[in-house]
Amino acid sequence: MEIILIITTLIITALLNILIKRRFVIEFFSIIASFVVLFESVVIALKVSISGVYSQFFFFSVDSLGAIVMLIIACVGFITTIYSVQYLRQETAKGIIGFTRVRQYFVLLNIFLAAMFLAVAANNPVFAWIAIETTTLSTAFLISFYNKPSAIEAAWKYLIINSIGLLLGFSGTLLYSTSVISLGENGFVSWQSLMANVAHLDPLIAKIAFIFVLIGYGTKVGLVPMHTWKPDAYSKAPNPIGALLSGALLPVAFIVILKFKNLTDAAIGPQFSQNLLIIFGILSIAVAALIMFNVRNYKRSLAYSSIENAGVMALGFGFGGLAIFAATLHLMYHSLVKGVMFFTSGNLLLKYNSSKIKNIKGALGVIPFTSVLFIAGFLIVTGVPPFGIFLTKMQILSVGIQINPIITIIALFFMTLIFIGFLKHIISMFFSRKPENIEVGEGSIWLIIPPLTLLVTIIILSFYIPPFLYRLINDVVSHY
Amino acid sequence: MFLTIIFLHLSKKNLSASIAYAIQSLVIMLFFLNSFFETNNLTILLVVFLMLIVKVVLAPLFFIRLLKKNALAFSVSTYLNTPLTILSIAILTFIAHYQKFSPLTNIVPANQDSLSLALSAMFLSLLLIINRKGALSQILGVLSLENSIVAFVIFAGLEQNTALQIGILFNIGIWILIATIFMSMILKHFGTLNVSSMNNLKD
Repeated sequence: MEIILIITTLIITALLNILIKRRFVIEFFSIIASFVVLFESVVIALKVSISGVYSQFFFFSVDSLGAIVMLIIACVGFITTIYSVQYLRQETAKGIIGFTRVRQYFVLLNIFLAAMFLAVAANNPVFAWIAIETTTLSTAFLISFYNKPSAIEAAWKYLIINSIGLLLGFSGTLLYSTSVISLGENGFVSWQSLMANVAHLDPLIAKIAFIFVLIGYGTKVGLVPMHTWKPDAYSKAPNPIGALLSGALLPVAFIVILKFKNLTDAAIGPQFSQNLLIIFGILSIAVAALIMFNVRNYKRSLAYSSIENAGVMALGFGFGGLAIFAATLHLMYHSLVKGVMFFTSGNLLLKYNSSKIKNIKGALGVIPFTSVLFIAGFLIVTGVPPFGIFLTKMQILSVGIQINPIITIIALFFMTLIFIGFLKHIISMFFSRKPENIEVGEGSIWLIIPPLTLLVTIIILSFYIPPFLYRLINDVVSHY
Repeated sequence: MFLTIIFLHLSKKNLSASIAYAIQSLVIMLFFLNSFFETNNLTILLVVFLMLIVKVVLAPLFFIRLLKKNALAFSVSTYLNTPLTILSIAILTFIAHYQKFSPLTNIVPANQDSLSLALSAMFLSLLLIINRKGALSQILGVLSLENSIVAFVIFAGLEQNTALQIGILFNIGIWILIATIFMSMILKHFGTLNVSSMNNLKD
């Protein structure tokens, strides 16, 4: 019942938000809904950690990786909703948006969350595709939220590139279903029935289908060279939505690729999909590193950081074995830390009214709490010890050095380059002289608590993984 | 269907491009109607009706109304000139018929030629999206790509799959709605459908 409750709660909240005329009620309902969703996601994760899989009717099935991603969406979604309330209030106070926009925001936010849960829980690849397409459509309006020409442009680019990508993903999906049709099974085709019939899949069709799927859903993940929408969309969307795009949508699309990878591996062996993941992974890390140096907008730098981390995850699942354990943990850490960074960059935007790096000076003296959180996020995301991402990157690279030393050394080189490039921007923004005409002090405690909560969660998870989560990750290693 | 995509590449007028898309959708709808007569599957009939209403009638009418309202008779330029576009079309069509893609085009051996054409149509639709600078042409490119995939589904004998039908229905209904809203927004903000005028995202 839990998954039905999650999706209906979010959809009903979205519908109620359309009708409600009081801002406080919209905010209240959205927070309550996201809390209910978080609670139910924890219940699902606990059930999956015990029984291995959670199934509801024919339409929903959540495995261990699905449960982890659901936890991520719920956690980042809940904190995002809380942060959004204060963030949008500050923007309203500045005259940037009005009530209609706030209402539109919370309607779309709930639809976006519902679509992501549906994509993860769908037992059918086409339903997962529909849900991911729904995320494109709802987020396109969130990216164009500020209704400026640049925001419209970013949203258009996002819409066209992702639609093409998803249509290619759809083509790949239908190629996989040729194996089931050849047996005469019509109607709904579940992931399980695809796996059961995978022996009937022509090896060459399996290869072409996986390429389609990897390009299609890889567009949503933001793997190079399908990443071009990402910096624009991240920089133009409201900051809390950036946190969800990077922290929640990326793992959702990734999980679909991994499900198809399983099918492909069963059909033709793991070498083909692993090689492709390694190629796309290293390309993503390299391109992100090279661009990071010259980025002039700190929100765009977060986008390139996401591209790099998507590459690290692809490398992890490409290398296989113990690297899968690290890549799964990396996926979790990255989602949480991106929440910290997008929320704190939202605070910077509210204070300085600019997302250009050159306009942010002396932030450590102006908004010290925000600055410390952002710097901590930077240290975590670039893999500085002793935080979790350092361990996951090291583990992925240590597996990689045995399998493919050249790729691993190249990856290490570009990861170092990203750290240096990002550090250059951090020094410029936080450790320079603050402008005289800027008021010192944080906007609100409620702009600090959400990123702080996420940061504390990452630090705890860096040193202690709860047993149920440990079981889930181990299960991912044995199934992917 | 293949010819309408060639026409979309060569057409200089937005109006004729919109009509070509309507014809292309009509052809796809007729394929589905034929499939309904063969199988009596009611979901397929639903797809046929929705295609007729949204893709054959409403979407082209909306495009034509928008073009007339904003006096956008001629489509904007392409990145490749006409001879290079024709050459690219020929190369992509050849690639789609190349031996390497035979596993795809041999899914139903009796439909090998049709599947090759549907695959060519997919490639050419992608070229249309990349090559054209107009927002309308890009939308028509995405919609053509969708039509090509649907044609592929039919020739591959996959149209009975209920989930695929729902996927197609969803895309028909929602994507066109969203894309047309965005086209209106682009016109409002930029005063043109030429996407090369969108250059606010340099940094």
